[in-house]
Amino acid sequence: MKKYKMCVIPAFPLENVQLLKDRVIFPYACFRAFGESLRLVTKSTGDYPYLSYLEGAQLVTLPENEPHMESAVHYITEHREEIDLLFLFGARGEYMELARTYKSLRPDGIIYLKLDANIDWVNALPFSCKPFSGFLQNCDIISCEARRLQSLLYKKWQRPVDYIPNGVYYPLYPEAEDVRFEEKENIILTVGRLGDIQKNSLLLLYAYALAFPTFKEPWDLVMVGSVTPEFQADYGDFCKRFPPLAPHVHLTGNIADKQTLHQYYRRAKIFALPSRGEGGSPNVFSEAAIFGCTIVTTGVDAASDMTDNGRVGRISPDIEDFDGFAKELSSLCLDPDYLAHNFHEMRTYIKEFFDYERLARRLQMLIELQLLKRRQP
Amino acid sequence: MKIKITDDCITLEENTETFALLEKPVFPHYHQNVTNKPFVSSYYEAGETIWAHCQAGVELLADFCHNDPYFGCYAMLFSRLYPLLLSSSQAKNVVSYGPPADCGAYKVFQNFMTFLQEGNALTALSRSSFSFTTLAEQSCHAFLYCLDVHPAQAAVCDALKKVRQGGLFLLYTLQEATPAWLIPLCENGETDHFGSCTVYAFTMDETLYEYACANGSENVILSRAEEVIKRAGDLQNLVQAMLAGTALPEETYKVAALILQQTEEILLSIYDYLEDDALPICANHLKEAILNYYAGISGGFDLTSYREKLSKSSEVFFYAVEREFQ
Repeated sequence: MKKYKMCVIPAFPLENVQLLKDRVIFPYACFRAFGESLRLVTKSTGDYPYLSYLEGAQLVTLPENEPHMESAVHYITEHREEIDLLFLFGARGEYMELARTYKSLRPDGIIYLKLDANIDWVNALPFSCKPFSGFLQNCDIISCEARRLQSLLYKKWQRPVDYIPNGVYYPLYPEAEDVRFEEKENIILTVGRLGDIQKNSLLLLYAYALAFPTFKEPWDLVMVGSVTPEFQADYGDFCKRFPPLAPHVHLTGNIADKQTLHQYYRRAKIFALPSRGEGGSPNVFSEAAIFGCTIVTTGVDAASDMTDNGRVGRISPDIEDFDGFAKELSSLCLDPDYLAHNFHEMRTYIKEFFDYERLARRLQMLIELQLLKRRQP
Repeated sequence: MKIKITDDCITLEENTETFALLEKPVFPHYHQNVTNKPFVSSYYEAGETIWAHCQAGVELLADFCHNDPYFGCYAMLFSRLYPLLLSSSQAKNVVSYGPPADCGAYKVFQNFMTFLQEGNALTALSRSSFSFTTLAEQSCHAFLYCLDVHPAQAAVCDALKKVRQGGLFLLYTLQEATPAWLIPLCENGETDHFGSCTVYAFTMDETLYEYACANGSENVILSRAEEVIKRAGDLQNLVQAMLAGTALPEETYKVAALILQQTEEILLSIYDYLEDDALPICANHLKEAILNYYAGISGGFDLTSYREKLSKSSEVFFYAVEREFQ
């Protein structure tokens, strides 16, 4: 089996935290599965302590004296023979020249573009602009992170776009292995930038208030993440309006320490995602799922994928429907048998369809298919 | 590029190069003109002559289109159309596909055509291959086709079929390289090239019509549909064997995925004509299910979910193919 020399070039300089996010973790899983080497090529934005999690990956720092993408194009030109597989992240105009240069120098090489897009973003892409459509043509394999988006892209672009969801790299979560449902508590957890317009945190807060009277046993709402001043004020109002609920709603603030954060996933039975929009399934979903949390989500692009069409979670389709979200939340809290059963179902589902090691194998086969296609007359 | 108009000649010029577009005939009774308009003024004291109108028209074309990259093409099209328009007293039906609706060349062409014969018609089609379906076969005296707008062989052949025997088919482009599929066709026509502009001119005959029928979208769609049906048939056996749990060589899964990848591409190539536009993505989902199933086997994982997804996506795909093509 061929081993590939792999290279990740971000559209903008990498930050340390991004080393453990999809843009790097998926290429890293591919490197472990079928790579000879992996280079992360970027201008430096500071120290990269998370590099220690990525054993075998090499960070190549681009010179400071020219813009990031210009440097990257020079790098590709000089090191083309050392790159068999180029990973790009996001359908960004910044990549046009880079992809063109690589393809002209290495027509035998493979460009894989992970779209990292939601429907709104895709609808804003200038597909009719020739340089941009040329860029997409230069990409041998394009994948998106949600099936709903995939359907749209087939209609818009009329080209193959594979579905590869945002997944989980299990070696980063050793503590998820021995989690047990019996350890879990009646906690509804959410993790995100609280108050951010996209995260729609207020919906969860008030849906919880609407569902609260229906609970047969106490359920707490734990909201993890940095808090905007607006949301802090909303939370203050909420506590004044519903004094009996206030002791049950906890804002933890941002938790940078992964072990502490994982403890929350470990304890929670339900994970709530009240977002207005996400580029595929968010990382917090995968994290919650491997710890066996049942998901309740708004109808974001990846809602059906995250819940296996409602089998392992609940969807409240309208992103602004407080009553609908409360209804789903309530029905879950009133169904302990489902939560216990779904603990295993969810963990199996995520392992089978979101494990980056398995997804990397699929990408490897897609690459092989591309190579077979090239060999055809 | 500019146009030079003298008393007896109209030429395109660029740097030191020239291209002769039209020449005023030296004979006063110009037998190739069978319209009721006078070609030259020798025998007529009053009324505008064809030559004078032609000079004015070309001047107008330069005014309207001198900044248009297709200016040279339009001028060469005009020179190719000119003999056809003068060749008989029948009203001419000329169809154009490609330029924007407000293109100045249309005004010039239509004006000149009306001057020659009130019943002459220039029809500008919208930029959709479906616009050809509104035209009857072999109904046009001339068809002007901008290759850069829709460079597909099938669409060109569809347009070609609309031209009557002896009519003119003019393909024009700014692309220097001739598409591979057009090269053999060029043997049956003539090519004008000046600056960045190229016009391929064909006079419709039996050979061309047969070529157009064989390569037009109807035939392409039918042959691609047959390919899809054949591939689906091959796949059905493979998928059944997979679902039955038969021990299959590793290559089988790759072959099945490859067949699906090809099927997906064939379906996308006839996307505009599909009744069920979800067919290509159904092929993709089945490919994904096969790759997951194969990964499950090679990884020694529990296959239950993968088999379920494979079963479901194959059911959806084969049913959709059957509904679409059979």
